[in-house]
Amino acid sequence: MLSMTNLSKVFRTELVETHALRDFSLHVDEGEFVSVTGPSGSGKTTFLNIAGLLETYTSGDYTLDGQNVFTLNDRQRSRLRNEKIGFIFQSFNLIPDLNLYDNVDVPLRYRGMTAGDRHQRICDSLEQVGLANRMKHLPAQLSGGQQQRVAIARALAGDPRFLLADEPTGNLDSQMAASVMGLLQDINQQGTTIVMVTHDPELARQTQRNVYVKDGRVCDEAAPVQLATVNE
Amino acid sequence: MTHNWETGPILRAMSRNKVGALLIALQIAITMTIIINAIFIIVERSALMGRESGVDEANTFYLTSTGFGSAFNASSVIDEDLRRLRGTPGVVDAVQINAIPISGGGWSMSLKTETGADIDGIGTANYFVDEHGVDALDLQVIAGENFTASDVRLRGRNQSDWPPVAMITRALAENLFPDTNYADVVGKTVYIGNDEPVTVTGIIDKLQAPWIGWDRLEHAMLTPEKMDFSSTRYLIRTEPGQRDRLMAEVETALADAYPNRIIRDVDTLTATRERSYRRHSAMITILTAVMVLLCTITALGIVGLTSFNVSRRRKQIGTRRALGATKPAIIRYFMLENLMICTLGIVLGSALTVGLNMALVQWFNQTALDWFYIPAGIGVLILIGQLAVLGPALRAAQTPPALATRTV
Repeated sequence: MLSMTNLSKVFRTELVETHALRDFSLHVDEGEFVSVTGPSGSGKTTFLNIAGLLETYTSGDYTLDGQNVFTLNDRQRSRLRNEKIGFIFQSFNLIPDLNLYDNVDVPLRYRGMTAGDRHQRICDSLEQVGLANRMKHLPAQLSGGQQQRVAIARALAGDPRFLLADEPTGNLDSQMAASVMGLLQDINQQGTTIVMVTHDPELARQTQRNVYVKDGRVCDEAAPVQLATVNE
Repeated sequence: MTHNWETGPILRAMSRNKVGALLIALQIAITMTIIINAIFIIVERSALMGRESGVDEANTFYLTSTGFGSAFNASSVIDEDLRRLRGTPGVVDAVQINAIPISGGGWSMSLKTETGADIDGIGTANYFVDEHGVDALDLQVIAGENFTASDVRLRGRNQSDWPPVAMITRALAENLFPDTNYADVVGKTVYIGNDEPVTVTGIIDKLQAPWIGWDRLEHAMLTPEKMDFSSTRYLIRTEPGQRDRLMAEVETALADAYPNRIIRDVDTLTATRERSYRRHSAMITILTAVMVLLCTITALGIVGLTSFNVSRRRKQIGTRRALGATKPAIIRYFMLENLMICTLGIVLGSALTVGLNMALVQWFNQTALDWFYIPAGIGVLILIGQLAVLGPALRAAQTPPALATRTV
C-alpha cells in the first residue's frame, strides 16, 4: 500500500540545511493500522506530509498503491490525494462557514461526482459517524469530538484506500479521544488502512504496529501489538 | 468527470458572512449606475461634438474690421478688402459675412410656406453672403444654383426687408416641405418676416447655425447681401496648410491698406469649435475622471476584500488543497465568489441605472438610455471584478497543501 525507501527531505535556506528525514524507510500493508510516534521535531509531520502528498521529498523512493509519486505534477498529486487518501487533522480543519453536509461535500466536489452520488455518500458517512441528524449544523455548534467525527466522515466519504491521521485526538479530552479512537478502529476493521501520527504512547499501543521516529529516521519498528478495544 | 461549481456552498458561506460582500455589491451597484449613465452622456456629447458644421474648418479663419472717422466709406473699403483678400496667394476665397457658423452669435429668422399671422414658421439661421459665399465656406450646392453677382444687393444698417432669392440647407428644405424631395424645393416660395416672399434658388448639402445647442442647428439660409456696415466680418478660406501664415499676413495687410480702422477678433474655425464645445469637452473629461476613479475604487475594494479573505482563509485553502483541490480549483472558487457578489451588485445596479436615467430624463431633459448600455455596463463591471480578483486568487492558489497540518 505505502512503501518508502531511503527517503530524505532536506529544507534548505541560504545559511542552513535541515534534514527533516534521512534514509527513512517504511512499508505499510493494506489493512494495517500503524502509528508513528516520536518526540517533537523528530520528523513525524514531515513524514505525514510526504505520505499524504502534501509535500515533495528530496530523494529516495515513495510508492503509493503501486504508483511512484516522485514524478507527479501538482494536478496529478491533487487528484491522487483526493481519490486515495483521507485526511484527519489534529484541529479538525472544518470550514467554519459551511454546515456539516457542505463540509463533507468538499472533497467529493473536487472529484467531480454527480450531485446524487455525493448526496448518498455524504449521508452514509455522516450516518457512520453518528451525526446524520445534525448535517445542517455548523461546526461551531458541535463539540470537539463531534467535529473530529465530521472530519472523519469527510475523510471516509471519498472511500479512500488509506487514512492519514495527524494527532486525531490531540485536541480532545480523554473520553472524546477514546470515542474517536474507537471509530478509527472500526474503520480499520472494515478494511481501511490507517497511518496515525501521535505523540501519545497509549494511543500507539491501540494500533497494530508502532513506528518510532527520531532525528528523521525510523529507529524502532515495533512488533505488532495486540489490538486494544475502546472498552479496555 | 464533471466540473462542480461550488455555487451553493459559496452562497451559503457568504450568507453567514455577508457584510463585506454586501458592501462590495453596493459599491458595484453604485459604480455601475454612475458609469453607465456617464458613458451614455459621454457618447451623446461626443456625438454632438462630432457633428460637422459643413464648413472647411481646418483651413478657415475670420476677422472683424471696424472702421472709424467721418471719411470711412464702408462700401468701398469692403469692396477693396475683398478684392485684396481674394487676390492674396494662398487664399481660396473670402467673403463678407454677418455671422460665423458654430460661433455662438448670429442672426435667425422664421420661414413659412404660407402667409398668415396664425401660421407657425420654422426657425433658421441667416447668413448674408455674396456669390463667393459658397466657395469661401466650402459648401456644396446639391440642387439649383449659386447666387450670381447681380443677385447681391446692398443692405443698410437699419434695413428690414429681404432680397427676393435665397439658398437653404437640405435639412431646412425637408422640414419646410416634408412631402417634397429637397431638389424640388428649388423654385418654391417661402415667406420671411412680414410675409415677404423669397424664392429658393439653391439647396446646400450642409451648413450649421451659429448656436450648437439649438434644436434647429442644421437649419441655415443664405441671402445674397453685401452689408454696408462700418463694422463687418470677413471669412477667409485658405489652401491647406496656409491658414496660420495667412492669418498674420492678412491682418497686417488689411491694417496697412486702410489705417482708419481696427482689425480684431482674428480667429480660426478650429478654435471657435473648441470654444463652443468647451462645456461638452469639460463634461466629458470630468465624467471620464469620475468613471476611472470609481472603477479604480471598486477594483481596489474587490482586491482588498479578496486579499482579506485569502489571508483569513489560508488554513482553509490549505485544507481544500489537501482534500484534493487543484490550483485552478482554488482560483475558480475566488473568481466564482466574486462573480456572485458582482451579480448581486449588477442586479441592484441595473435597477438603479434605469432609475437614475429616468430621473435625468424627467428633470434634466436627458435622452432615455439605449438598452444595450446595460449589458455593456454589466460586461465591464464583471471584467473589472474578475481582473481585480485574479491577483489575490492566484496568490491563494499558491497556498501549500501542507499548511493543513500546521497547527499555528
